[in-house]
Amino acid sequence: MPALIEARDLTKKYGSHVALDRASFSVEGGRIVGLIGPNGAGKTSALRAILGLTAYEGQLRVLGREPFRDRTALMQDASFIADVAVLPGWLRIEDAVDFVAGVHPRFRRDRAAALLAKTEIAGRRRMRELSKGMKTQVHLALTMGIDAKLLVLDEPTLGLDILARRAFYDALVNDYMDETRTILITTHQVEEVENLLTDVLFIDKGRIVLDSSLDDISVRYTAIAVGPDHIDAARAQKPFYERRVLGKTVLYYEHPDMEKLAELGEVHTPSVSDLFVAKLSGDAT
Amino acid sequence: MNNYIWLVRREFWENRAIWVIPLVIGGFMVLCALFGRVDLMAVSSHALGRTVGQAFLGTVGATFFVVMSIYAAWYLLDCLYADRKDRSVLFWKSLPISDATTVLSKLATAVIVIPLVYFVAADLTTLLVAFIISVRAGSLVAGTLWQAGLWLQIQLLWLYMILTTAVWYLPVTAYLLLISSWAKRAVTLWSVLPPLALILGERWFFGTHVIAHQLSLRLFGFTEAAFSANLASWASATAADSDSIRTPADILSFLDFTGFFSSMATWAGVAVGIALIIGSIQLRMRRTEI
Repeated sequence: MPALIEARDLTKKYGSHVALDRASFSVEGGRIVGLIGPNGAGKTSALRAILGLTAYEGQLRVLGREPFRDRTALMQDASFIADVAVLPGWLRIEDAVDFVAGVHPRFRRDRAAALLAKTEIAGRRRMRELSKGMKTQVHLALTMGIDAKLLVLDEPTLGLDILARRAFYDALVNDYMDETRTILITTHQVEEVENLLTDVLFIDKGRIVLDSSLDDISVRYTAIAVGPDHIDAARAQKPFYERRVLGKTVLYYEHPDMEKLAELGEVHTPSVSDLFVAKLSGDAT
Repeated sequence: MNNYIWLVRREFWENRAIWVIPLVIGGFMVLCALFGRVDLMAVSSHALGRTVGQAFLGTVGATFFVVMSIYAAWYLLDCLYADRKDRSVLFWKSLPISDATTVLSKLATAVIVIPLVYFVAADLTTLLVAFIISVRAGSLVAGTLWQAGLWLQIQLLWLYMILTTAVWYLPVTAYLLLISSWAKRAVTLWSVLPPLALILGERWFFGTHVIAHQLSLRLFGFTEAAFSANLASWASATAADSDSIRTPADILSFLDFTGFFSSMATWAGVAVGIALIIGSIQLRMRRTEI
């Protein structure tokens, strides 16, 4: 089965600024992939290219289609929320549901209605009358009502409080996600999503610096916290990054000699956010 | 087709002015008819009566048509720009509707839907106002304002005007769409600047005024293109001899259907319009930011 998203040498330039610099990656079906990178790393450019919102150089296939040329057909099978809530202020909630139901063959009205019912927002209200959090919830209900093979979420929970964010991710995993779907998600709150991700793509300065499943990460990367007495021995094992935490030093390794490390202290698999910091800071030095 | 219906419905949600403005104009006219002073001159002859009726129908129609033209131009300038300004373009693009469909739905709203709304509004207004005045002024005026033949002719005139203005002004409407699809701000200013710059540039560098001439032909040449010479001669005769009001024997004899649709100028304009529409679609595909 070919990958759901296949990018090779994907490049996007804005004038002299290179937002994506020959980025190559692939996303398989049935995964929840986090696209993680610092501001200005090219996350949004990558998502825009994948969704057919922008022209690009290089090769890109999404669900077997060229996104920019075939956006209309692609949107039958893919749905997205780009950035913050962008529903227009004049739109009434019930009109929005009618509209999407009218133009989208894969929209399941009952599911969107069920999600909206949970928010307890009256359908006659216009978007401009809603708080940012409510707007986002309406948008999410509309998007999750679409039976899409690929769901792209760009900072989906921006403006939501902790309860709403948790409820959203629970709904995403329990009600929406199944083996026929793929979710590509970017967020700055990496800690919030790392438990539900199956794969990560680290992006920095327009290039993919890590394309890995979380299972591979636990095999490939190891961290260890050591006191001052073991620090030299630990450094001898060639960590690619280290940082000091509460008098101890945490060192990060790729494919280390596990037996030697185990003698120095307790080894653990780094969290996605720690690995992200380690990878970007470590590779830079 | 289904998508077009939803998109046009969407335009009504977004631009309530499409029906609010004609409602306000019509409402004002009805209020005037209800409470204004009815002081029609004594209608002594059939010809005079016809003229009074025509003046009445013509004034109502012209008012609606002028307001409609201004509103439609504003709508065209705003429609694609507004989506980018409030960033909702990203929501619309998350749905399986092509950019061509979106742009064409906005064009259709401006040149077909909005004119039809105004047409219906003008009709309802004339019927209501004529009815009210008839009741208030008595049978003498009633016969004048209820001329079925004349009323039918006005209907045909409206439809003819909607069709021919849509075709004749296609390069202008398409140009406004292009600006709406392109400009990052100040759409009104941007709509005026490029032609102005071209006219001045041409005058400065070549000392000619071909562009200015072509533009004025397009903007002001509509009547000449779509109506026969009868109209001009009737208008000048009426102006020269204002004491005895003449009546056009038949409004329809003014229309120059075959002349309009066999004219080179008409089809040259259509070609330019199509090119500009394609440009608008291409910009809509690429521009998601302000």
